[in-house]
Amino acid sequence: MSGKTGGARRDEPVDVLIVGAGPSGAVAARYLAAAGLSVVALEQGHWPDAADFPGRKREFELAAQKRWHPNPNVRDLPRDYPVETSASDINPLMYAAVGGSTTLYAGHWTPFLPSDFRVKTLDGIADDWPFTYEDLLPSLEEIEREVGVSGLPGNPAYPPQRAFPTPPLPIGKAGRKAVEGLDKLGWHWWPGTNAMPSVPYNGLNPCVRRGTCMTGCPEGAKSTVNITFWPHAIRSGARLITGARVREIEVNDQGLATGAVYIDENGRERRQRAAVVIVCANGIGTPRLLLLSKSKRFPDGLANRSGMVGKRLMMHPFSAVLGVFEDELDGWMGPFGQLVESFEFYETDASRGFMRGAKWGAMPGGGPLGVTSFVGSQIFSAGEGGMVEDVWGENLHKLVARRFNHCLVYGIIGEDLPEESNQVVLDPELTDSDGVPAPKLLYKVSQNSHDMLRFHVARCTEAVEAAGAIETVVVHQVRDTGWHLLGSCRMGEDAATSVVDQWGRSHDVPNLYIFDGSTFPTSGGVNPTATIMSVALRQVRRLIAQRHLQEAA
Amino acid sequence: MSTAIDGGVRAAFRAIADVLIPAAEGMPAASEVDVHGPVLDRIIGLRPDLAERFFRGIGAIAGLPPETAAVQLNAADPQALAAIGLVASAAYYMQPRVRELIGYPGQEKRPGNPDETPEYVANGMLQQVLDRGPIFKPTPKA
Repeated sequence: MSGKTGGARRDEPVDVLIVGAGPSGAVAARYLAAAGLSVVALEQGHWPDAADFPGRKREFELAAQKRWHPNPNVRDLPRDYPVETSASDINPLMYAAVGGSTTLYAGHWTPFLPSDFRVKTLDGIADDWPFTYEDLLPSLEEIEREVGVSGLPGNPAYPPQRAFPTPPLPIGKAGRKAVEGLDKLGWHWWPGTNAMPSVPYNGLNPCVRRGTCMTGCPEGAKSTVNITFWPHAIRSGARLITGARVREIEVNDQGLATGAVYIDENGRERRQRAAVVIVCANGIGTPRLLLLSKSKRFPDGLANRSGMVGKRLMMHPFSAVLGVFEDELDGWMGPFGQLVESFEFYETDASRGFMRGAKWGAMPGGGPLGVTSFVGSQIFSAGEGGMVEDVWGENLHKLVARRFNHCLVYGIIGEDLPEESNQVVLDPELTDSDGVPAPKLLYKVSQNSHDMLRFHVARCTEAVEAAGAIETVVVHQVRDTGWHLLGSCRMGEDAATSVVDQWGRSHDVPNLYIFDGSTFPTSGGVNPTATIMSVALRQVRRLIAQRHLQEAA
Repeated sequence: MSTAIDGGVRAAFRAIADVLIPAAEGMPAASEVDVHGPVLDRIIGLRPDLAERFFRGIGAIAGLPPETAAVQLNAADPQALAAIGLVASAAYYMQPRVRELIGYPGQEKRPGNPDETPEYVANGMLQQVLDRGPIFKPTPKA
């Protein structure tokens, strides 16, 4: 790579092309540009505008169910690509924008634990990662400084580490209610650690607990890389092209990536050449792009000699337990966000009848429409075949009086074990708005996940009952909860069974890298953004250090 | 199927909205807070995806007594009834009078004080968690 300082003009060859401007792409861009490399990033979405977010408007909850729903098939916006899900038990959730899906994420900041990197050694299943928690920790601590994490240090669910850069957010009445129950049972809890600073930090405003995190934060207080990373990257010379849908990564006769073909906002096909290509398009977008990039040399898709591109998709099946209490809990108040987290049943105990575990996040119940829904999806309702009076008439008033402002919700994120049958393929018919084939998911929730969630639902129910719940409502395996798109381009040291090495470099194409969550060998039982960004930082640091040895087209 | 919000549509919506959200439990009926007024246009404008099911449902209940309309629509076209119900309840809970009655100020700012010692630290609750010691499995020695 030349190492010429940024500022590349359109279509001029650059040192590094990044596909996707979400968390991992932003980490790559910031550090590469700061190291003096010329960088272009292509992002299919646009810059989010906080003025568009509905959180300050009366119709907030109504907008959350459509325009700001996290399921791209529900939003159906031109910049989204559709995902064929008829053969999937879970709908994938994502958002196309600078900042990617963090535009709509809840900001739960929960790094993987030490055991998550050693699943094979500890539990005899799945795989170990090529590196350990301790190997990743310096990158995690650096990322946390940039992200502006709020939290309290000393959580006994984690090894000791550097303190978070901003103090914890209040846990509120709903969090205190959750703690009451957990304390009675002697179970672990910790005040929620969130990607939302409690004081002004790195371009972010402090969280004011508006509670609309999952439709975009109108306060500019939720840490998303369009605020925290991209401005730095651009100041260092990185060029970010939005509205650019990449349809193919091209290779030369030597089998090296030469850049990408993309469709710009005006529908014109363009080509961006680069010495190195880094794909950061998430666990569905990345395998989709590799499978689209077929050539004589790579007839089964780029970097797919192992046949593992698209396989082992993990999406974290999710269940929710809602507890209703006599007390008023300020149930609409944020962060939304986790108020309190618990890792009591995170580690494997084989006597429970399943392997691995799950993390719980206690969250507020939301607004009045939220008494029957969770994150925009109708889930706590009478369902098909119900009578009008089940949810309407006097019963609506009673339901709202009983639940609204009186709820807390436990969200259960359970580890999803990798299975080759869970995969991303190309749909033969469905396309996006530019005519590019759309992905199709083949995904079944495993028996292990099913049993795990049943166990955790029972324990969460005990926790809310111990706190004095007068009503509990359980939703087992919520369909619209595929937030965490992991594993579909697995990392490993064996080129026969993995797509990339621990540094994100593809085994088959030496100047093609993947830095996103698709490379995760296992999924952990936690929200993955902290780990995705930390792994990306570790990988980009290595790429920068080794740049003089890097093969390039 | 008409997709204009004319007087007939408003009247039919008002009638069925009062079945779905009647005056009860100390709360006003839907029509008392004008869910059939300008807020109806606003909601259909915000959620055009609901329009087809909404107007389909309203068209299907023309001339029926409101209670009968709700029951029949629930049996014949529950998706249409769900759309009408969502429009009605969204309009209802956007009204200041209703929000005041249920104690909902809307999604307002309530900043915390980052310099304040959290209650769970001051009162020793968190210390109980710490006293139980680490609960993670450490990285096994290679």
